[in-house]
This record gives sequence, C-alpha cells and structure tokens, in this order.
Amino acid sequence: MKLNIEGLLVYFPYDYIYPEQYSYMLELKRTLDAKGHGVLEMPSGTGKTISLLSLIVAYQKAYPLEVTKLVYCSRTVPEIEKVVEELRKLMDYYAKQTGAKNDFLALALSSRKNLCIHPEVSSLRFGKEVDGKCHSLTASYIRAQHHSNPSQPVCQFYEQFDAVGRQVPIPPGIYNLDDLKDFGRRKGWCPYFLARYAILHANIVVYSYHYLLDPKIADLVSKELTKKSVVVFDEAHNIDNVCIDSMSVNITRRTLDRCQTNVETLQNTISRIKETDAAKLREEYRRLVEGLKEANVARETDMYLSNPVLPDEILQEAVPGSIRTAEHFVGFIKRFLEYLKARLRIHHVVQESAPQFLKDIYEKVCIDRKPLRFCAERLRSLLRTLEIADIADFSAITLISHFATLVSTYSKGFTIIIEPFEDRTPTIANPVLHFSCMDPSIAIKPVFGRFQSVIITSGTLSPLDIYPRILDFHPVTTASFTMTLARTCLCPLIVGRGNDQVAMTSKFETREDFAVIRNYGNLLLEMSAIVPDGIVAFFTSYIYMENIVASWYEQGILENIQRNKLIFIETQDAAETSMALEKYQEACENGRGAILLSVARGKVSEGIDFVHHFGRAVIMFGVPYVYTQSRILKARLEYLRDQFQIRENDFLTFDAMRHAAQCVGRAIRGKTDYGLMIFADKRYARADKRGKLPRWIQEHLTDGSLNLTIDETVQLAKHFLRQMAQPFRQEDQLGLSLLTLEQLQSEDMLQKIAQIAQQA
Amino acid sequence: MASLSEEVLLVVKRVRQRKQDGTLYLMAERLAWGPEGKDRFTVSHLYADIRCQKISPDGKAKIQLQLVLHTGESTTFHFANESTALKDRDVAKELLQQLLPKFKKKANKELEEKNRMLQEDPVLFQLYKDLVVSQVISAEEFWANRLSLNSVEHSLSNNNKQEVGISAAFLADIRPQTDGCNGLRYNLTTDIIESIFRTYPTVKQKYAENVPHNMTEKEFWTRFFQSHYFHRDRINTGLQDIFSECAKEDEKGLKSMVTQGVKNPMVDLLSLEDKTLDEGYGTATVPTTSNSSNKSLRENSNSAIIKRFNHHSAMVLAAGLRKRHQILTSLFVAFQVKLQEAIEYDDLQGDSGRKTISLNLKKSDRYSHGPIPLQSQHYSTSQDIINSISIIQHEMRSYKPRLTQVMSSSAASSAITALSPGGVLMQGGGQQTINQLVPTDVQSELKHLYTAAGELLRHFWSCFPISTPFLEEKVVKMKSNLEKFQVMKLRPFQEKIQRQYLSTNVSSVPFFAFPVIFFFSVDNFIS
Repeated sequence: MKLNIEGLLVYFPYDYIYPEQYSYMLELKRTLDAKGHGVLEMPSGTGKTISLLSLIVAYQKAYPLEVTKLVYCSRTVPEIEKVVEELRKLMDYYAKQTGAKNDFLALALSSRKNLCIHPEVSSLRFGKEVDGKCHSLTASYIRAQHHSNPSQPVCQFYEQFDAVGRQVPIPPGIYNLDDLKDFGRRKGWCPYFLARYAILHANIVVYSYHYLLDPKIADLVSKELTKKSVVVFDEAHNIDNVCIDSMSVNITRRTLDRCQTNVETLQNTISRIKETDAAKLREEYRRLVEGLKEANVARETDMYLSNPVLPDEILQEAVPGSIRTAEHFVGFIKRFLEYLKARLRIHHVVQESAPQFLKDIYEKVCIDRKPLRFCAERLRSLLRTLEIADIADFSAITLISHFATLVSTYSKGFTIIIEPFEDRTPTIANPVLHFSCMDPSIAIKPVFGRFQSVIITSGTLSPLDIYPRILDFHPVTTASFTMTLARTCLCPLIVGRGNDQVAMTSKFETREDFAVIRNYGNLLLEMSAIVPDGIVAFFTSYIYMENIVASWYEQGILENIQRNKLIFIETQDAAETSMALEKYQEACENGRGAILLSVARGKVSEGIDFVHHFGRAVIMFGVPYVYTQSRILKARLEYLRDQFQIRENDFLTFDAMRHAAQCVGRAIRGKTDYGLMIFADKRYARADKRGKLPRWIQEHLTDGSLNLTIDETVQLAKHFLRQMAQPFRQEDQLGLSLLTLEQLQSEDMLQKIAQIAQQA
Repeated sequence: MASLSEEVLLVVKRVRQRKQDGTLYLMAERLAWGPEGKDRFTVSHLYADIRCQKISPDGKAKIQLQLVLHTGESTTFHFANESTALKDRDVAKELLQQLLPKFKKKANKELEEKNRMLQEDPVLFQLYKDLVVSQVISAEEFWANRLSLNSVEHSLSNNNKQEVGISAAFLADIRPQTDGCNGLRYNLTTDIIESIFRTYPTVKQKYAENVPHNMTEKEFWTRFFQSHYFHRDRINTGLQDIFSECAKEDEKGLKSMVTQGVKNPMVDLLSLEDKTLDEGYGTATVPTTSNSSNKSLRENSNSAIIKRFNHHSAMVLAAGLRKRHQILTSLFVAFQVKLQEAIEYDDLQGDSGRKTISLNLKKSDRYSHGPIPLQSQHYSTSQDIINSISIIQHEMRSYKPRLTQVMSSSAASSAITALSPGGVLMQGGGQQTINQLVPTDVQSELKHLYTAAGELLRHFWSCFPISTPFLEEKVVKMKSNLEKFQVMKLRPFQEKIQRQYLSTNVSSVPFFAFPVIFFFSVDNFIS
C-alpha cells in the first residue's frame, strides 16, 4: 500500500499495516527531518525492519541529496540476511508499483569467511584462518613478488577484481551474501573486496556492528562512508557492551610469551633485510619523518570516519625519533614487554588508572607517553615494510601495540586491573592484565559525530533515558511503542512461590536452597505437561544451570519431565549447542515437543528466535544479574556513578531486566504468534524491576499475575493456551491491530495511533 | 498321531498339569502336554495363541510356568523333577522366549486387525454375529476375503504402518525396587528392551556379541544396570565394564554429530557472529586453557550429565525418525526457504494463502464429536433455523386474509370430512406408514437379515467362474450355507412376520420375501 507519512510517499510492501508500524514511521520521519539521532523501542515481531526500510528508502528517493546512504547494522549473519531479503521484497514492490526499473544498489557485507569463493580458502572453517590465508594471497608485496616470480600463488579472483572490478560499477540491485558470491563467480571477481569497494557508492549497506564500532575494523572498512548517511543500529539493546568490548584488551602471560616470539621473528627479519635490502628500511624511515600527514589531510576534508585509536593530535606529528628506525622500535617494544612481564609477577590485585600506569612505566623503564601513542601505527608500518606474510601470527604483538596506544591516549574512561589468579581458583597462578573500557561512548562517539542521523532501535530499550546517557548523545526523538493486540497473545506471569509457599528466587543467599531448586523443577515439570511443542527456559548463569540440572537429575525431576518432552541443554561448546538447538527444533517440528535449557546472556539468548511452536513458553528462572563480584564490573559501576550519575543498583537492575526481556521476547513474532512469558522470581513483582521491563510487556502484567504459586500459574497458563489455540483469522484483527489503507486514513484511527508512541 | 511328524524342539519330563504328571513337548509351532502313559495330548496350544508366559519367582517352593492365552485362559505347568526342576523350567522358558515373539507379531496383528474392524464397523459386527456366532459359516470363511480386502484399503490410506515412538523417559520407567535383602530389582519388559536397543544401538550390539555365549540375558542386564553407562552422572573409568566401550562409542557418535555441524544456518551458533573479537580483546573473561585439571570433580560430572541428556534426547529423536525418508533438498534451497519464512508476516499479507495441511480424517464426524453410536440424524444448523424463522416472520407480516375470496361453508366442511381419518382422502394412509406400522426391532432384524444374505451371496458369487476344483467345492459349500441360512434364519422370520402381520397388510409381504425369492433363483442356477 502507499502511505502518506506527513507528506512523504511511502511504499509499504503489504496490503495491511500494524498501527504501531505507522506510528514508528512517523517518529522516524521526524528524526530524519531534524537530522538528529533517535532512540526507538518497538516490540519484537511487529515488523520493525520493514517499517524502517520502507520509510528510509522512501526518504532517500524523495530527498536524494539529503540522505544519500543507509547503513543498517545488525548483530548476526542471519539477521543481516533477513534484512536484505526484506529489502528485496520492498524493492520488488517498488518495481511492481511504479513500473520503473530499480536503480538502487543495496548489499550485505560480511567477513571473508562468508564471502570467499576461492576454492581452497573458503573451505577453511574458522574466520581467522580464512582471513590469514586470504591475506597471504592478496597482500601487496605478495602480488609484487608474483610479478617477478609467477610461481608465487595469488588469488585469481582478487587479481581479476583488481584489474577490472573497480572501473565497472556493480549493476544496481539487491545483493545478499549469496548473490554477491554468485556475481563474483560469474565475473571471476572476489566478492569480498568487491563488496568492500561497492559499499562506498551503494545506497544501502547492511553489515554487522563491528564494521562501524570496532575501531580496528571501522578504520579499514567504513572510514570513507559519506556523512549524509542514516545509520541504524537494530537490536541495539546491547550496544554499550559491543562498544566496550571493542576497546578493551586482556593480556595474559601467554600473550606475552607469544609476543616475545613475535619480537624475535621481527628482529631476525630486520637483520636479514638489512643485509639484502637496506633501501627498503630507509624508505620507511623517510615516510615516517613525513608523518601521517596524508591521513591528516584526508580527515580534514571530512572524508574519513575518525578512528578513536588514532586521535587527531597524532596525525599532525611525525613519529617520534626514538622509535623511528626499525631496530629502535623493536628494542622499544622489548622494553615495554619486559615491563609488562614484571607487572604480571604479582601476588595481589592491583587496580590503577591510565595516568598512574604511565607514571609508573616512566619511572621504571623510562618509556615516554608519546612514543607509546604511536606504537600501533609504527607496528603496522613495520609489518608492511617487512612483508610479513601471515598477520595472524602477529596477533599478540598487535594486541600489545594497541594496548600501548590506547593506554597512552585516554586518560579517562579506562581502568587497568591486574589479577594474579582467578577468583575461583586462588591456588593456580594465572595473572591477567585487564585494560578495560568503562565508557561505551568512546567507541561510538565518532559515529554520532560523523553521521547525520543515527537510529538506535530494539524490542527492549527500556528505560529509554538510559541509553542516551551511557552513550553520551542527545537524541531528538525517544519513543516507545506498544503492541496493539486484538487478542492478548502474550501472557507474562510472575511466579513468586512454590505450592509450598516457599519463595522462589535466585537471590544469592537462597539460590542453592533445596526447596528453591525443587520448586523451580516443579514449575518446569508442570509447564511441560500443559504447554504444547517447545518450551525454552533460561537460567541466570551457566554454573547455576549446571548445578540445578544435576540436582534435578538426582531428585528424578528430569526423568518426569522426559515423560512429557525431550530435554536439550545448552553447553559451553558452541558446536554442541548448535546441534542441541537443531534437534530441539526438530523435536518441536515433528510434534514430540521439547524443552531447551539455556542461559541468559548466552549465545542462544542473544541470537536465536523461538517463534511460533518453537517457543510456546519461555521461563526465566531468576533475575539474570551480571556476576557482580567482578572487579571490572565494579570499576565500571563506579565510573557510571561518577560520570553519569547512574546509581549502581539502577544500572544492575536495568542490565538484568533488559536481558530478561530479551530472553522472553524471543518467543513472540507477529500477532499471530503467541507465548507464555514466565518470570520465576518473586523479585520481578517489585516496582523497580517491573518498571524496567519494556512497556509492551508491562502493559499485560496485571496485579493478578504478580506473585503466583505454581498451581495458579498452571491455571492461568492453561486458560491462556486454550484461548490462544482457537482459530485466529485476519478479520478478528482488522481495524484493531491490523489496518487497511482506508482504516488508516480515518480520523479517530489517527488519533488512536498518536497514543501508541510514548515519548520518554 | 499326526503331530508326531512335527519337529519336536524340546521334551521335558515330569511336568505336572492339573496335579497330573506328564511330559511337556515344545514343537515348531505349538506347545503340547500329555499325561504320563498316554499317547495323546490333553493340552495343546499354538504359539500364536499364547499371549505371554509367566514364571514363579525365584525361591518359591513350586517351580511353575504359566501360559496366558489371548482368550484370557491360562495353563499352569509345574516342574516336578526335584533336582533339575529349575533348570528345566528355565530351558523351557528360554526356548519359549525365543519362539513366542515370532508367532506373536503375526497373530497379534491379525487378531488386533479383526478386533479393530469389528469394533469400528457395527454393521460388520452384526454380520459376524449373524453368520459366525450362529454358525452359518465358520470364522475363517467369514474373514477369508474380507481381511485381504480390507488390508488393501488400509494400506492405501497409510502406506506403511506407523511406527511407535519411544518415550523419552523409558529409562526412568525402569524403577528399581528393593527386594528386601540388600538388592535391587529392575523390571524389564520387552518394550523397554526394544526401546533401549533402538535408542542405543551400541547396547544392542553388545547384547548380540555377549548373549548367550558369554553370559545369560539376566547377567547382561544386571551388568547393564550396574554399569556407569546407566548412571550417567558417573564418569566411566572402569575398563572391565563391557559398557565402557558403549560410552566411548556414544562419545564418538556425539562428536561426529557435532563436527558434522548443523544443516540450518539459522541455528548455527558458530557462524552466527559475523566478526568475532580477536583473542585478547573484549571484557569477557579469558577462557582458561587448562580445562579439566582445575575443574572440580563435581563440575565434571555435572557437565557429563548435561552431555548425556543431550545425547539421549538426540538418540530418542533419531530412533523415532530413523525410518523416515531423507528429504533431499539442497542446502541452499532449504536456507532460502527458511529465510523467506523468517521475514514473512502472514497477517500483513493480503491474501493470507497460508499453505495448511488439511487433516486426513477417515471419519471426520468422529473427530469432532467423539465416538457416538451410529444414528442417522438430520441436523439443521442454527443458520437454517434462523433463516426459516425469519422467512416465516416475513410471510406472517405480509399476510393478509383475502376475505372476499373465501370458500362457501358447505364446501369447507366437506373438505374437512374428506381429510379426517376415515374420509375419502385418508384411505391409503396405511400403505404410506409401513415403517411406522412395523416395530423397529422387526425392521432392524430385517435389515440384518438382508445384509447377512447379501454377505453370503457375495461369498457365493465370488466363486464364479468356477475354474478350480477348490472353487467348485466352495460353491457347493456356499450353497449349503445359503440353504442353511434360509432354514435357520429366513424361514423363522418369515413365519413370524406372517403370523403377526399378514392380517394387516398383504402388500408388504413381497418386500419381506425378497431374499427368499432371490435364493430360489440361485437354487435354480446351481441345479
């Protein structure tokens, strides 16, 4: 249908529309008009992606000079592919309606592992191997060697692409990962480099967060993206952690050992090159005197997305003299390495700030702040000069150099914690130096600074005000949308007690109580008897799940559950879990029914949807608080308190509730789906917890479903399931939660729609 | 004695039955017992007729073996030879154990099939009562062509017999009971054993390897329950345990399953993440390289349990699916379909042409109403009723008596007399209401007779053309059957009817006599 969103003609590829989708597009349009950032929370499974795409594409078509590019970031590869497919649907609709040929170029970008078509390289299983092998075939000096010595293997696809691929633009169209590979095969071009090149002039780019947030990758891939882009972070409820992860470094003794060997290799290579090809080193030296001017020029003309690892000041200076020659630099790294080794030889925990660390390093081994800041750049240059084939081997020394640059660049927002052993095993020495980022805004700042509009959206962003605070930006719109429902297809229940009235909670003091574990078991057992098909249960941590499963086994609860359904359990091994997941789905598919025991914050809870019969009930055992004894977390909480005035408890609860909401939200997709959401902890009933759940879940939490016993839960659930099992037709929804174009245009419907969005 | 030509598999002497000493013979197809000194069997059971055997518990004074038949009767043998009684009994039991399942399946299937057919089809049941129970034809004759006919139809509706799945909790169903003297008793049924074998093929293999040459069956299962294998939380260390190999095999199987990877990329956690952080980056704690060494024993056993549960569920699932056809769609296509499914919103779509699989119901009324006795009822839907009411209302509203065009009163009264009982127009009433006139039991009896006669005639006509001597014999037999039927069933019925109803209405007699007339034509045909 064709919609009129405040004067903008939007093609929407369906005959019907959910009211909240319309409302969502309104808010989105306002954000784009204001050229500002937005935070939008919309229930999962209400067609967020297609609304986003429809509106932004329409906007691009209407104002081609205002918005030139859409950068859509999602989290997982299947998500990315889904987005591209939805886009394809939209574009097909455009073509059908307007009759014009599609002139949009949209493509997905993923790592080499998902795009490589080289027969040998693509057969490798791990991403890192693929990257390394690819690099060894496509590095510039390898190709140079190939010129003089044709027996040196190179990648034909890359050569082809390099020869002609850049001149001939890729024809407009929608390219998913497989389409890119097909296209690459047809042309004989490398799809990966083709995609990386094509994103510069594509209208829509879909890729993963890391390409924008991780400075190490963003610098390579995304730095030339135009300023007039709209950036969308979908499923962004975890964005702060992604930012933090990309800026944090851990150094173990093993890292240092490997770094040591790296240094030795470097030394040997240098002395060898010196004998054979001293000119090369001299050339490098000259370049370094010139400084990083070129990069600086580029940034001034506003062409590049700035790299936070490489702050502006560095670019204006030449590399300091003390590390300019290759030997000196290696000597410098060696000294730094020795210092780190010494720091790891401790018997108690040390926590210090970056300035403290710099002061100490200056006193102990006379290393200045300035050369440290250039470490990463200098190492990269050296590796290029020395023609190191396999970069993967040098990951340890690269890590150290990044650490050096980061620690000397940022005096705020980071902390250094050195732990001599793991808390659980105090007898085994395993020293780790955590260089931990506490401020997610550091990594995302360049994104907000550079791009015209950044949209942060997800099904669970409540409370909405917290994201602008921790990411340090000022949104022009923040809105939360409810789900209009013709029938209440979600049923959140808070179970607080067992039938024996013992409180059910994963509180640390009582979580190992026999009664609590038994009650949890009984709850699962009862649910397994009444819920059809699939049940997913989430625990607060892996260790807790292991313990509970073991005691359920001893008490025979699992055996009784097996009478009703098959049991699959997430393990710490991803491959094993994948298999369990697949079998779980198979069992749901063939009608046997199954239970999946899983962990909040785990891989399953983050990336897998349990739609329709794959998840008719989700049970959240306990409140998924993060492990609060970790020093890194404590440091972060302290930082949040001091910098952003967010109380520790507020943040912890917020974090726990967003994960809980994320877990239970996995079960609902669309209004024809339905599912039970069972929160099995009495603490959920408290206002401070409940209030942090997304609005669309909160709305359906009545006072009558707050502190239930297992029996009451079973009664309510039975009632709910029986109701939901009745046929649900389109007519039932029409006019309430599903609108035709005429209905949408009526006056009172528009009034109703205005109430769907709640501004924070 | 004809049975002597049979192969005798086992002879056990000094077996008592009904307090009488005798000898027990186990032959190829049946089991027989004859009292001492006589050369005939007083007890003889086909193996196919035996439902199960039961033995007296160990330690009881009397060592007995009981056979329960499908009919519900049972025969008990008492092994009386003091020295070897136990051994005798066990030998007999073992042999029976091997023999019974062979016959059991066939017999059971047939019996069940017949039973099912009779229960499902009341008409057939009545026919069976009329013909077989009243001994017009024998049961075999009755079933002879019916069963094959039916099985064809049956196999058409579902090509292969549905396989029975395995309960996931079958291991839990083997509840150990204390036997009172420091031991545990496990009760195993053939179903459970079957489940174990199907779920864990390695155990089956072990069984095949070891039983009966290395150990007895009992010993095998004792070891099974003692083994670490059965108790999944223990980590198997013992090498002497024959099941340690099974555990290893399972481990291998699990590993190969894991390395095979998953077919559906949507659930492949390994390739979910596009770009993982390099080692050393991130806030997550670094995974320790020393895995098992610093883990406590408890943690190890916990993860062993988890692994075993995953494996168990996977095996149970696989056992249920083993017979299924492999779906041979290419990976790529499957993935495309999955993707399309994942982005589809069927309620937003205009024509929600959802592909649904309609239930293939043989008797849809049974599905919606549950089993009810067959009654012909005419339902009018509420819609019909409402419609007709509204129509009537409508008519009534527009009804206007046209007072100018009424009949004269004399014409009206004569019409009324004509229409009252006994009037001119009410003469032929008796003929129309024949089904009200005849009581229902007579009607149903007639119906039964009719179907029975039809059945017999079907048998009879199926013999033509008479091409073999066997058929010829059958025709003759069927003719006599028909005659028998006529004498035993039809004549009495006819007489009864004549006695009761001749006076009322003669016109119905030809109708009653219809089968009889038909028979005569048959008689003429044969002669």
